[in-house]
Amino acid sequence: MTPALNIINVNKNFDGTIALDDFSLEVPRNSITGIIGPNGAGKTTLFNVITGFLPLDSGKITFNDKNVARMPSYQIMRLGVARTFQQLRLITRMTVQDNILLSFQNQAGEHLKNTFFFPGRVKEEEKRNEEKATELLSFMGIEDKASDLVEDLSYGQQKMVSLACCLASGADLLLLDEPVAGINPETIDNILSVIAKLPEGGKTVVLIEHNMDAVMQVCHTVVFMDEGKKIVEGVPESVRNDPAVLKAYLE
Amino acid sequence: MSLTQTLVNSLSAAAVYALVALGFALIYNTVRFFHFAHGIVFTGGAYFVFLLKVWLGFPLFFSIIVAIGLSAILGCLIEISIYRRLRHKGASSLILLLASLGVYVVLQNIVSMVFGDDIKTIRSGMVEEGINILGTKVTPIQIAIIAVSLSLLVSCFLFLKYTKIGQSMRAVANDPELACASGIESDRVILATFALGSALAGIAGILVALDVDMSPTMGMNALMMGVVAVIIGGVGSIPGVALGALLLGMAQHLGVWKISSQWQDAIAFVILLIFLLFRPQGFLGRKIKKVTI
Amino acid sequence: MEYLLHILILIGIYIILSVSLNLVVGYSGLLSIAHAAFYGVGAYVAALLALKLHSPFLLNIICAVILSGLLGALVGIPSLRIRDDYFAIATFAFQVITFSVMNNWVSFTGGPMGLPGIPQPTIFGLEINTHYRFLSLVFVLGVIVLWVCHKIVNSPFGRVLKSIREDEIFAQAQGKNVASCKVLVFVIGAGMASVAGVMYAYYISFIDPTSFTIMESIFILSIVIIGGAGNIWGSVLAAAVLVILPEALRFLGMPSSIAANMRQIIYGALLVILMLFRPQGFIGEYAFKK
Repeated sequence: MTPALNIINVNKNFDGTIALDDFSLEVPRNSITGIIGPNGAGKTTLFNVITGFLPLDSGKITFNDKNVARMPSYQIMRLGVARTFQQLRLITRMTVQDNILLSFQNQAGEHLKNTFFFPGRVKEEEKRNEEKATELLSFMGIEDKASDLVEDLSYGQQKMVSLACCLASGADLLLLDEPVAGINPETIDNILSVIAKLPEGGKTVVLIEHNMDAVMQVCHTVVFMDEGKKIVEGVPESVRNDPAVLKAYLE
Repeated sequence: MSLTQTLVNSLSAAAVYALVALGFALIYNTVRFFHFAHGIVFTGGAYFVFLLKVWLGFPLFFSIIVAIGLSAILGCLIEISIYRRLRHKGASSLILLLASLGVYVVLQNIVSMVFGDDIKTIRSGMVEEGINILGTKVTPIQIAIIAVSLSLLVSCFLFLKYTKIGQSMRAVANDPELACASGIESDRVILATFALGSALAGIAGILVALDVDMSPTMGMNALMMGVVAVIIGGVGSIPGVALGALLLGMAQHLGVWKISSQWQDAIAFVILLIFLLFRPQGFLGRKIKKVTI
Repeated sequence: MEYLLHILILIGIYIILSVSLNLVVGYSGLLSIAHAAFYGVGAYVAALLALKLHSPFLLNIICAVILSGLLGALVGIPSLRIRDDYFAIATFAFQVITFSVMNNWVSFTGGPMGLPGIPQPTIFGLEINTHYRFLSLVFVLGVIVLWVCHKIVNSPFGRVLKSIREDEIFAQAQGKNVASCKVLVFVIGAGMASVAGVMYAYYISFIDPTSFTIMESIFILSIVIIGGAGNIWGSVLAAAVLVILPEALRFLGMPSSIAANMRQIIYGALLVILMLFRPQGFIGEYAFKK
């Protein structure tokens, strides 16, 4: 079976600083891959390059066998890639439910002609999406927050919402940038249990995380990167005990 | 119209654009928002001279010197009373832009209430006849405009490069936080920038008034040409601003040489759009930072 | 009585202008200083068609909307690639140019002399020749514009617009085509502004460039901001208040030449004060933060 995501020899420079150095990675379908590494290793840059927010200098990225390099971000997202951001991005002055509704793809109501000429269809779709949103929020355990503004939520709850947005988008590949950093242990368990269940539902996950315990707990494969290069790749236990990784984390 | 005549006309237009653009760019570089009220400081320069010379009867030269000072003070007052407060509140560049629009509207209406909407002149008694150079008519004021503008551009360049205050202006423009960390009081530097930029705008307004009279709305058009020159040349570079102004002046007047003068502004706009589209950093500017994610 | 009707008609025209600009500025976060340009395009298209081709009112209004929308696309497609204040500058330039074309292309637009003698409109045989009828017509058009704007902002498309206003990157990450949404809303705003222009031209029966200046653009923008960006009813209310304001000043005995300046000083000052203390306006929801 072809990998869900295939990154081949990708390079990216910022004014002479090398952010990604001949980076390659195959992400198999229905798996959870963790990316670890020190700050400035190029982890977030990798996400930005995959999702088209930053243009790559050279190399190739395929998603479901389709070359996505140099495609505008929104088109990559429409192919079935969803992401969260390290500096949490949500529409904070909209309700939780509206944020989720925004994330559904192919909405007829987003075309104005439908709003004016087929209002019935739009209304029906909206009702269906609202039900789906409620379902999703109760799956995440935050259904009581549906009509709260995102800005009134705790940081952990906001991270849950951004994960819920990824799920709502129906994407096959989820790129999660530090899904559990900076939140309390109880919420961490909550989020990890949601992530762990994703491959069963046919999703592929790549996550960046500093919390080693969390990575060990959910990931099938772990990649350690530094200075834009892939240093080690393997099953969690072996990567954790790799001398290069130990050295980096002891420093 | 002969080609040399067109050249002289475009040079004197470019000289005015360059002065407005230079003041605008200096201010934009340190505060990072579009200071619309710069246009009213330009108008102010002209009307201060009118007030001093025609209403109060001071000699022209004295009036001009005082008016330049008053323009600088006007710019500083706007900065202290409005922009500084907004900045300290962490206002976005859109909020500052809207506030500057408001300032522009208020001051332009005060000008038209005090002086009336009709065209005013400060040219009385001046020699109007042009000098003939190789079949090209050059008026003394055109020569003055070009000379003043050129010398101001050069002195500003030297000022920014070699004086202490000039260097701190550039430091604040490059990185306000770093400048603050290295002990530069950014508020003071910004104030100095407003004084300098506004004096330049005032001078430009006075020169235009000496050339073609004044009306309360004169600043808007001048401001637009200044902004276009800045964007063509590239924010943050004095040679760039001069080059931008020159290109704009040339394009307009060469265009007019062939087609009629009603399209002058349209030419400027088309040039602006082309640059915004293909080279928003301008000819000599640095690349504008992309949105950080 | 006619005076009162006259004020109501003007309020109606400004409601159309400010509500449509609110769609662009308040709901989508695109700071446009060119609304009076599209307002003017509508007025000139209708006036020229009526004067030169004697074409009927309804056809003229459709032509004005289409032309103004096309012009909106022409300006919007390149300008909307740049963001925030650079976009504002591009629209500002467009405004200055449009004015200059109206003012200088004398053989076509009449230049500063304007276009006098625009005939009164006829709709299905009914001549709109009294203040009452004009008011009814403006009322109907105003309600249509309000209804359309209301539908748009409360639709899933409106949700996308708000997300673009608040966080473009996030909107892109949710698979929204940000560029095309922006252009579309800008074009719709331009089209609606031209409706107001058509009404103005027919109602006053004389147009000249001074009604469509950068100051007019700033005035319409001020209505939106004072009422509140991102709130349609704020614009309706503020349009009424700001149109009545100079009349009230005159009523208080201020000479009309000064009243016109005073009106501008008051809204200019309000703009500055609101930016200092309440950027979201009286009842708005968008405070120009990114």
